[in-house]
Amino acid sequence: MMQIDLGFLQALWNSIPADIQVALGRYIAAMVLLVALIVVSKWQKIRIQKNLIIGTVRGTIQIILMGLILVYLFNLRDIILMFGVLLFMCTFAAYTTADNLGKIPGVFKASLPGIVLGSISVMAISVLLGVIEPIGEFIVPMGGMVIGNSMNMSSLVIDRMWSNAQKQRGLLETALALGASPIQATEITIRESIETGFLPNLNRYAALGIVTIPGLMSGMIIGGANPVVASLFQVIVFIMIFLSSIIAGLVGSRLFLKEIFNERLQITVPPPKV
Amino acid sequence: MNQAPLLEFVDVSMGFNDRTLFEEFNLVVNNNEVIGLTGQSGSGKSTLLRIAVDLMTPKAGEVYALGKSVKEWNPQELRRNVILVPQESYMFPNTVRDNLTWGLTIHGETIEDENLLGIMNEVRLTSISLDDDAQNLSGGEKQRVAIARALVMNPKALLLDEPTASLDSKATIAVEEVLDDLIESHQLGILIVTHNVEQAKRFASRIVDLQGGEEQ
Repeated sequence: MMQIDLGFLQALWNSIPADIQVALGRYIAAMVLLVALIVVSKWQKIRIQKNLIIGTVRGTIQIILMGLILVYLFNLRDIILMFGVLLFMCTFAAYTTADNLGKIPGVFKASLPGIVLGSISVMAISVLLGVIEPIGEFIVPMGGMVIGNSMNMSSLVIDRMWSNAQKQRGLLETALALGASPIQATEITIRESIETGFLPNLNRYAALGIVTIPGLMSGMIIGGANPVVASLFQVIVFIMIFLSSIIAGLVGSRLFLKEIFNERLQITVPPPKV
Repeated sequence: MNQAPLLEFVDVSMGFNDRTLFEEFNLVVNNNEVIGLTGQSGSGKSTLLRIAVDLMTPKAGEVYALGKSVKEWNPQELRRNVILVPQESYMFPNTVRDNLTWGLTIHGETIEDENLLGIMNEVRLTSISLDDDAQNLSGGEKQRVAIARALVMNPKALLLDEPTASLDSKATIAVEEVLDDLIESHQLGILIVTHNVEQAKRFASRIVDLQGGEEQ
């Protein structure tokens, strides 16, 4: 019988620093929670399992790589380079939106300009107003939060517009038959989806400090910052997130109209598959 | 004075994928004329109305509205003059008033409540208020609000898609009475789609079958 020597695995494990060994152990243990999540979602036919598994693998690799270069990014002092990093993050956010809404056409080109405009303008204005210091330590993580929330808003608005165009086709056609423009025909959907997109963050905002202890604030306090400074900073971040999200939602929704209507103002979205 | 027909279908053909709905359909709708369009279920009657207001493009043929090809019309302007009332009466959020003024508002126009009440009276919606929630109306009331919503815009032509198909007999009679009055009192052309030939005979000066094309 062939003997397999597993000694190299032991050697590999031993070569990993002790603190990483502990973290890896916790990561593996936490997979129990992921399995529970998959079981519950499968049982309730909530179709997120594939995205959860891919997201966990992809997210883990991404965040480890990002973690490794964060030290470099946090030390950035070149403002152009910092905003270049944000631009890359925006592109990846639009790609993620398009990937998650795979069945819907034109998502990347509809979501990217809104995410870029919302996030980059809010970050730039914040730097110009002196709200945040122009150093990588602030720009990169805060930009990440702003971009992430803009991505969520863009994704939600586009998904809602598409499904409404499929499921509420009659109402949309009634509006068009009265001479409505695409914006007029969809404004209620857009408004409602932006309000829905705001809801989780508004909940967090309202419960700030009591139920919600945001990561940024906790990180700053753990890092030795004055709690008052950390708290004020957290409120600033929320305001930045709200502004960039609304811009991303509004711009994305307007650009996405091209995927729902043609130039003759006819609905081009196919009816839902039964 | 514009002598051109309100609507003219010239050799219009339509189908989806390999399925042909109708071929080389021809029809002229003149001012003050009521035409009943009949045909079997799924024959494309509703599709023809959508083609008339450019909500769909035919496979072949040409449609003219007020003497101009619909392709040359700005779609919003076309739909300001020729209004389609779909089979299902979808109500926009909020009140009956919001629904009645919806079309005018999007074209930047306004109307006084007094005039709205006149139109409500015309469509025999006297038991409901302008402030009522439109979503809470009955099927027959919604259908009449949908017709009133089109009348408020004072269109040149009105296209009614099976206006009583989803209503019970009592609501059907109410809507039919409204249509009777409408045809008497308004200077417009009406193309009314119905699968019910008897109903078409009651209103229409001409009846056209989508497949046969013969006029009675």
